[in-house]
Order: sequence, then C-alpha cells, then structure tokens
Amino acid sequence: MRELFHRLDPEQTRREIDEELRFHIDLLTDEHFRRSMSFEDAREAAFVRFGNIEQITDECAQIKRRQHPLIRALKLFLVLVFLSGVVIRILAPEYHVTRVGDVLMAVGFLGRLWLYVRGLVPSSFISKSEESSPLRLRDEVQPSIAVYDLKKQTPVERVIFRK
Amino acid sequence: MANTRTDLMQGTLELLILKTLSRGSMHGYGIAQRIHEAVDDVLKVEDGSLYPALYRMEERGWVSSEWGVSENNRRAKFYKLTRAGRKQLEGEQANWQRISQAVTRILQTA
Repeated sequence: MRELFHRLDPEQTRREIDEELRFHIDLLTDEHFRRSMSFEDAREAAFVRFGNIEQITDECAQIKRRQHPLIRALKLFLVLVFLSGVVIRILAPEYHVTRVGDVLMAVGFLGRLWLYVRGLVPSSFISKSEESSPLRLRDEVQPSIAVYDLKKQTPVERVIFRK
Repeated sequence: MANTRTDLMQGTLELLILKTLSRGSMHGYGIAQRIHEAVDDVLKVEDGSLYPALYRMEERGWVSSEWGVSENNRRAKFYKLTRAGRKQLEGEQANWQRISQAVTRILQTA
C-alpha cells in the first residue's frame, strides 16, 4: 500500500529521477577531479559529458508517467471497454443493442488514441524523436563547450564549433 | 567529399545496455563506464542518454530496478536484467550478428 502511494506521487518520482541523475553527475565530477582538474572544471566537464540534464529529466519523467498505476488501469479499462463493444456487436440480436456496442468500441478506440496523443502510450510513429538513436560515431561529434551555472546546475549556453 | 554521417541501427544502445547488464546488476554510472571502456574510441555516448533508454527498457519489462547502496556508500538505483530482458538480448544479439555478417559478406564480394 505504501509503495502504491509512493508511486502515485509525481513529485516523489521527479525527486527520485533528480537523485539518480545527480548521483551520476557527482561520480563523473569525482572522476574528472581525480585527473587533477579544479572542482569547477571537473563539474563543468561532468555536465558536458552527461548532456542536457533538464531534457533528460523531463524525458524520464514522461516515461515514468506512462507507468503510473492509474494510467495503467485506464489503459486496461479502455481495452476492456473496446472488447466488450466487440462482443456486444457480434452477439447482440437487435439493432439498437448493436449501436451500444458501436459506442463502446468508439469510446475504447478514441480513449486509446487520446492516450497516444498525450504521450501516455509509447508509440513509434508519434514519439519518433524519443526513439532516435543517441549513439554517434566519434567522427560525427561536433566539438562544443557548455557553459553551466554551477549553483543552479543548469546549462546557460552551448557553443558549437562548426567544421 | 565523402559523407561521414552514419545512422546507427535503432536499438543499438539498448543492445549495449542489455549486454552490459548481463554481467550483473549495475547503476547507471557503472553501465556508462563499461560502455565507455568498450567502445569509447569509436562511439560517442552522452551519459545522460542512457537514462531514458533504461526507463523505456524498464517499461518494456527488460530490466528491473531497485534502490540500494553504492560502493561509495550512497543511495543509488541499481538495474538488472529480467528474464524477458535476457531473452531480448539473445534475440537482438543473434539478429545483430546475422545482419553484420550479411553486410560484411556483401562488402567483401562487391
């Protein structure tokens, strides 16, 4: 029960993502610091290697939102509504009862479509950017410098050197 | 001038993560370190991009996660392969080898 309440709290989810990412950045900073960098330089290098932390946090939160127990229950409910519509449509003896089946099928389908549009169901054709490969061959990497606000730990500016 | 841009196959990062986790449970930083050690001279992986991939893999049931204590006594989230993940790894690995062998064969004969 406690686990369920824990998972229902969106702020808690966000805090956990922050904690996880911060742990990674702290270890990256330590790694750079051990290579005799100053703490500020090590922190900056860690942020550069990590990538856009705000974008990553948002993406992770979006994926977590899809795993929310209420969203899962809603998905299951919509499938059941659609299937019961199909069953009624096939088995109903009278015309006006088959219309009820049509309505249920439409509710199930449109509900599911609404979830796709809201990004609450993973979809290869709607969230294409999310699936794009984050891997690049070394030659393709554009040299860049990220300027970070070390207190807020957010990127301020990114300078890309074009070839 | 030759076009040096190369699109890597979809799912490549997932395959690297699955393979890395087949050694045992690891936190995100550990996974990133292993991947950097193995492919850093050829591939560039932004460490942060591992997390959305890990979350998606957890959503698909390929990995599971739990909070634990890291080697430096800090709270960290550890990921491990599930049975479905192990099956996915076997499938993806076989698929990757089949494709790379086919492409190599064509490149050698053409």
